Amino acid sequence: MRLLTEATEWSDETAEPMIEQGSGSMVMQPLSEWVPESGNGLALEVDDEPTSQFCQAPLITINFPVFTDGRGLSLAVLLRTRYDFTGELRAVGDVHQDLLHYMRRCGFDSYVLPEHRQLPAADNRQPFSPYTDYYQASVIQPEPAFRRVPRGA
Amino acid sequence: MYRYDTFDRRFVSERVEHYRAQTQRYLAGELAEDEFLQLRLRNGLYVQRLAPMLRVAVPYGTLSSDQLRTLAHIARDFDRGYGHLSTRQNVQYNWPELAEVPDILQALAEVDMHAIQTSGNCIRNVTTDEFAGVAADETIDPRPYCELMRQWSTAHPEFDWLPRKFKIAVSGAATDRAATLVHDIGLKVYRDKQGAVQFDFSVGGGLGRTPVIAETIRTGLDIEHLLTYLEAIMRVYNRYGRRDNKYKARIKILVRAMGAASFREQVDAEWAHLKDGPSTLTDEEIARMESHFVPPAYHELTEDLSALGAQRLSSPEFGRWVAQNVSAHKQTGYAVVTLSTKVAGIPPGDVTDLQMEAVADWADRFGFGEIRISHEQNFVLPDVPIASLWELWQEAQAQELAESNVGLLGNIICCPGGDYCSLANAKSIPVAEAIQREIADADYLHDLGPIDLNISGCMNACGHHHVGNIGILGVDKKGQEFYQISLGGHSGHSGLDASLGQIVGPSCSRADVTSVIGKILDVFVEQRQPEEAFIHCFKRIGIEPFKERIYASAD
Repeated sequence: MRLLTEATEWSDETAEPMIEQGSGSMVMQPLSEWVPESGNGLALEVDDEPTSQFCQAPLITINFPVFTDGRGLSLAVLLRTRYDFTGELRAVGDVHQDLLHYMRRCGFDSYVLPEHRQLPAADNRQPFSPYTDYYQASVIQPEPAFRRVPRGA
Repeated sequence: MYRYDTFDRRFVSERVEHYRAQTQRYLAGELAEDEFLQLRLRNGLYVQRLAPMLRVAVPYGTLSSDQLRTLAHIARDFDRGYGHLSTRQNVQYNWPELAEVPDILQALAEVDMHAIQTSGNCIRNVTTDEFAGVAADETIDPRPYCELMRQWSTAHPEFDWLPRKFKIAVSGAATDRAATLVHDIGLKVYRDKQGAVQFDFSVGGGLGRTPVIAETIRTGLDIEHLLTYLEAIMRVYNRYGRRDNKYKARIKILVRAMGAASFREQVDAEWAHLKDGPSTLTDEEIARMESHFVPPAYHELTEDLSALGAQRLSSPEFGRWVAQNVSAHKQTGYAVVTLSTKVAGIPPGDVTDLQMEAVADWADRFGFGEIRISHEQNFVLPDVPIASLWELWQEAQAQELAESNVGLLGNIICCPGGDYCSLANAKSIPVAEAIQREIADADYLHDLGPIDLNISGCMNACGHHHVGNIGILGVDKKGQEFYQISLGGHSGHSGLDASLGQIVGPSCSRADVTSVIGKILDVFVEQRQPEEAFIHCFKRIGIEPFKERIYASAD
């Protein structure tokens, strides 16, 4: 997983919004403008409807309008589990450091934290995995605890 | 009852430490107020008018005597010596210090309790029949399935940030004591002819400012599909429920906007992808949960009721208590006892540390160490030998927990109201007290028979006023407290379908509430047929005779 800061998110040099990805840069387009074969990244809003074409995008961002809006979590789960999206899935917008563990379990693998939000100090619990294990299945652990952990002890 | 294993204990203790670190960051100024708010709500901490309120989860209303003793300790050490039994079977503290809450949560974790998801826009504590496992009219104990849902919903990655709070209730008996049809999801669990466990799903019920009776969208769902079908419902709600207006964000608004039939189609389309997936319950997991709720080692007791009959004759007060507060048990020689917290002068549901400890001791002496909390805000002792009723009653009297008013007008359901709650338009506790004092004659109350009187201090309806036979709602009129009275509501027990009350007319001042209730009771007494219950009388004669009497003098 990668954590980016807002300062690295947009580039001022081009007309298209750019986002840092791997070693290069990529054109990001909203769903209304995005063409599957273009090789461009897809910038989704939380109420966009996913389709199987999305798996052609090398990078998808989901924009959280407020950190309490859980629609982006369901959208991420659908992309990962129903439409087999295997590219990079990045949370942008009002991303909150205390919700990173939910996002990770819903299939995000990179995050842009707004500048005013900082990760807790290093001696605090891991923001991406504050718990050793969870009861339910998730994108990164498709088996619920009752299928893989001996219970009752 | 369910016993934590190492997995449960590790999760709950990690949660305490996670929240402790968040609290420390907030106190150090590293987390903004509105950001910490969302985190503390999901750990049970809600800021009220005067102080923070901590709501402790009592999963499906069942707790052990040791857990109740810990709740008493917390009341004494961290609060002002009392706690409050809520209408959702939880326990609330009204005066904890925000900085001390992590220590309270740690004390809870030591007896396998928590306050996770008791507030906030997430899946809340699953509620059920307070007589689960012991009621004579029960077909199946719903608690193993409640526990499956508790574990599934705890820190769910996808469904902890919903449009609005989400409440699930389950009933496994002929009488629906869990008011399932006024919940976001109401489940009825039963066995089919082959003995397989099945569920009927109703969605979109609720009280609040838009009261709705839930619509049934699926019947006969086999138990292995319980969690995948729930996920399908939650995903449709999480994606399409309104987020622009918090008063229109509950699932009932979505179900009504889409229509129950197309909501069901959406859920089924979603479920087609989830059905038979990894979250499908295994036989081993179902058996493991059921094994936690096997009946205790009951003694072979006789059916002999002669001693009880003599005791009832010797004390009419004891006789009334047995008639009202003692219910039939599945097991011969045992009874289910409701200990009423509804005493005039004490806010309904408030219990002291000493009362909690006394109840815990009775649960050990007159049962198997188990206690229930009812949505009517009373304690229930589920396994009392009939031969011990007299002794228990005498001790309960000394603790002011022997009021014989269960099912009667005095057993008022009441929210904390304007005395505590920052949402309230009006006070509710003084109204309950005035009614209890005005209509205090025990013989008169017993003659009136079963009447549910519910009071809410605002339209959020925590006091369930819509489903009271008599409902009282606090409203604000230009800064003055007024009360709107409704009649004929019913939560769905006693063989009647759930129904919502009808408003009688213009609201009245607080000073007039008791006289209006008096007029309503006068009409009932004049019009009732022998032994007729208030709700049946109301359904027969309608609202008009009541309207005429209440507003006659005002003309």
